[in-house]
Amino acid sequence: MSHLNVKVAAIEQVTEHVKHFTFISENGEKLPAFSGGSHVVLALNINGRIHRNPYSLMSSPLNTEHYGVSVRKQEMSRGGSVFMHEQIKVGSRIQITYPVNLFSISKLSHKNILIAGGIGITPFLSQIVDLNRMDTEYELHYAYRSPEHGAFRQQIEDMCGERSHFYVASDGQILDFYALLSKQPLGTHVYVCGPEPMVNAMIAAARDLGWPEKHIHNEQFTAPQAGESFKVKLALSNIELEVPSEMSMLEAIEEAGVDAPYLCRGGACGRCELDVVSCDGSIVHHDNYLTNAEKTGGKKIMPCVSRAKCQQIVVNL
Amino acid sequence: MERQYWIRSKPVYTSLLWHEKATAHLVIAEGDGGMAVLKLLQQKYPTQQVNGFFVKSPNALKNYADIISSLAPAEFKVFGNTTEALNSLKITLADCCMGTCFYVAGSEGFIWQVAKVLASVGVQDDDIDKELCGTLARTVYCVHCKAITHDAHHSVVACSGCQRQLFIRDHFSRRLGAYMGLMVDAEQPGILPSIEEVYP
Repeated sequence: MSHLNVKVAAIEQVTEHVKHFTFISENGEKLPAFSGGSHVVLALNINGRIHRNPYSLMSSPLNTEHYGVSVRKQEMSRGGSVFMHEQIKVGSRIQITYPVNLFSISKLSHKNILIAGGIGITPFLSQIVDLNRMDTEYELHYAYRSPEHGAFRQQIEDMCGERSHFYVASDGQILDFYALLSKQPLGTHVYVCGPEPMVNAMIAAARDLGWPEKHIHNEQFTAPQAGESFKVKLALSNIELEVPSEMSMLEAIEEAGVDAPYLCRGGACGRCELDVVSCDGSIVHHDNYLTNAEKTGGKKIMPCVSRAKCQQIVVNL
Repeated sequence: MERQYWIRSKPVYTSLLWHEKATAHLVIAEGDGGMAVLKLLQQKYPTQQVNGFFVKSPNALKNYADIISSLAPAEFKVFGNTTEALNSLKITLADCCMGTCFYVAGSEGFIWQVAKVLASVGVQDDDIDKELCGTLARTVYCVHCKAITHDAHHSVVACSGCQRQLFIRDHFSRRLGAYMGLMVDAEQPGILPSIEEVYP
């Protein structure tokens, strides 16, 4: 997979926990075009190990002189966001993937309802540019903890005007999914990005009201979780390797020199799916891609986020 | 009808079942689709509002209109032709909200006429439950003259526009509601394969 080499042109502290990074291409040329809702995967060299984290592009698709991403510092994570906050400076060079869109606005929609929780606002900022340009009906509902956590509120008000609605939890403003999704005209699509409980509650409300699946969209990037170490055998390449507790299975496979397929690295897209030949324990699925039946079936694993609790797992790679 | 491979555009039809989670239900049926409506009425009746549109057809096996009218007179309106029913449907759609479930039954031509009306208000193909009833007759789109030929029952049909003999493929256009038809004797004019009634 080919990569883009970018350097950090600017860094802005947006809220206490959120920093915004502006990337320009290293050779000064324009960056590739992208559509609203796209993300890129950043390759971060942390103590000699490559971490690959997906971040939504939130800059305007109309201006590819630069890309913008925002990163919330996650103290409890494996270090990618902390590294971005503490080590990346203006002038730092980073390798990123070409933009990929797993969260685009449906071309068949007549109206769009965008629902963001906290840092989940980022994919919507590029989508709003597309929606404004296409003159499509939409409304944005943005919920966050307290006034100081309302990242990009002013920018959103400028871009969306009366189509933006804000819900500040500390002021007792709660976003009621049932009230919002009842009485919406036919042809409406809903999009949600935010913390897992919020995403799940929104999807449950939409289904409960009879919304068809094709009208419900969500993006949830799961960060790979640490776990017990386990051994992997790659049947086709005839390579055996160990996945340490702090590393994802995909990262361990890459470290062993195997060019495994991937796109989102967040358990969302399905590109890295591997067939499981055998496993002498159980698979711990963390992805949002496989169906429940596939997860119970134990014949497939998404190595970007999922692990195994076993002595050895054999996959077809 | 092609057996060696599966054409993904070919629609798959199912049996109609009420959705438990819904805010309203809209049933649109024609002719032998009356049987699918009667089967719906045999199921546990939804607690949400039901609106039905039924088009009578002289070709149907039974007089389903009378049976439906006697079973669910308040919910089902009966129409003499498809145009009237679709006009009435359009008026009802203006007041429908997300959460309305759609059930369509009848011939394939009818199903996709309804789907086209529903698509105009943003209801997608996947949102609609469809049951094919009575006949497998196909609507055919001629790739040569772009004319539509209705009610094709045989593997080869004469185009209503250019009279070419068209082989009916499984490639289906949801926009046109028709299968692709290609001139079958282009290489050797007049030499036709055996023609069989495969869509009775």
